[in-house]
Amino acid sequence: MRTRGGILLANIVTGLALGFTVTSIGFGDYIELSRMFTFQDLRMLLSFGGAVVIIVCVFALLKVRRTPGRIHAGVIPGAVLFGTGWAISGGCPAIPIIQVASGYLPALVTIVGIVVGVRLCRWVRGRYLHIDSGSCEL
Amino acid sequence: MNAYWPWWAGALGLAALTIGYTLATDRSFGVSGAWDRVLHWRREREHEKAEEKFTDERALTAALVEASADHFAALPAEPAPRHQSPVAPVEPSAAADPVVTRRRPAPLVTQAALLISIFLGGLIASLASGRFELRLDMGPGFRDLVTASPVGMIALLFTGGVLVGFGTRLAGGCSSGHGLNGCGRRDPVSIVATATFFGTAVAVSFLLWKVI
Repeated sequence: MRTRGGILLANIVTGLALGFTVTSIGFGDYIELSRMFTFQDLRMLLSFGGAVVIIVCVFALLKVRRTPGRIHAGVIPGAVLFGTGWAISGGCPAIPIIQVASGYLPALVTIVGIVVGVRLCRWVRGRYLHIDSGSCEL
Repeated sequence: MNAYWPWWAGALGLAALTIGYTLATDRSFGVSGAWDRVLHWRREREHEKAEEKFTDERALTAALVEASADHFAALPAEPAPRHQSPVAPVEPSAAADPVVTRRRPAPLVTQAALLISIFLGGLIASLASGRFELRLDMGPGFRDLVTASPVGMIALLFTGGVLVGFGTRLAGGCSSGHGLNGCGRRDPVSIVATATFFGTAVAVSFLLWKVI
């Protein structure tokens, strides 16, 4: 499964499952998301938290290799910017894709914003802001 | 139109796909990382080519080492102790090999496939549930909480998108990379990132509810 074809297949299956699951939970629905962030509705929060608990347990049982990353200088400022953007636009990097797939056409603008932001980050970091942001693996 | 999934179904779904990916590929997946590499495909392609060349060269070196070992082994025997030291250094590099291979990011094509598959998976879900509807707004929640003006909507979606794109890359991951995979591996950097972006989103959302 670790061949190129295996990894391609795993990414296709994971992408389909992720798009399907996240849409079915309701992460693309702005009001559901906002009610989660203000703790008016714990359903989506429990979905996410429950998933993390299951993953932690299964990874511990299967002794999945841990690759502790350094807490680099970009984590806190980056996460604050991301959290703000998520609350305003309703999009973490996968959400606008499934919003468009649900028919919300303005989410295309969010995607354009993400494209600009991602490219801007690499450009700014290379040129002006020599801030460490760890590995680019995730 | 069907209702959204109960919390336990969502938790099982998200957990299953994360665990499945990890077991199948021995890697973590992250949507923001996929965006980053796909959007810089030209440079990433060059990296991959250089990497392939490097792997080829390493294979060539390994073959040469083996061939010369065979050649020298066929020569009249020298005192054994001297022979052992040149052979020994080959062992650790062979042992280190799988580690290097495993830490390489998933190929560029597969990450483009991830993004396209997310779209298709979302499309199947919204069509199957009868929730698919082409519309030019972001729904009543966005209209009431954020803005009702179309120009304001475009401006805020764009700004939000830039913040998401910039922020996730600065933080080195998003809700899938740090949130599901990183937290699942109990990686401290991911736990800090997840707590921070979630806490900020909570604060901003409360502000949005306060303003109306």
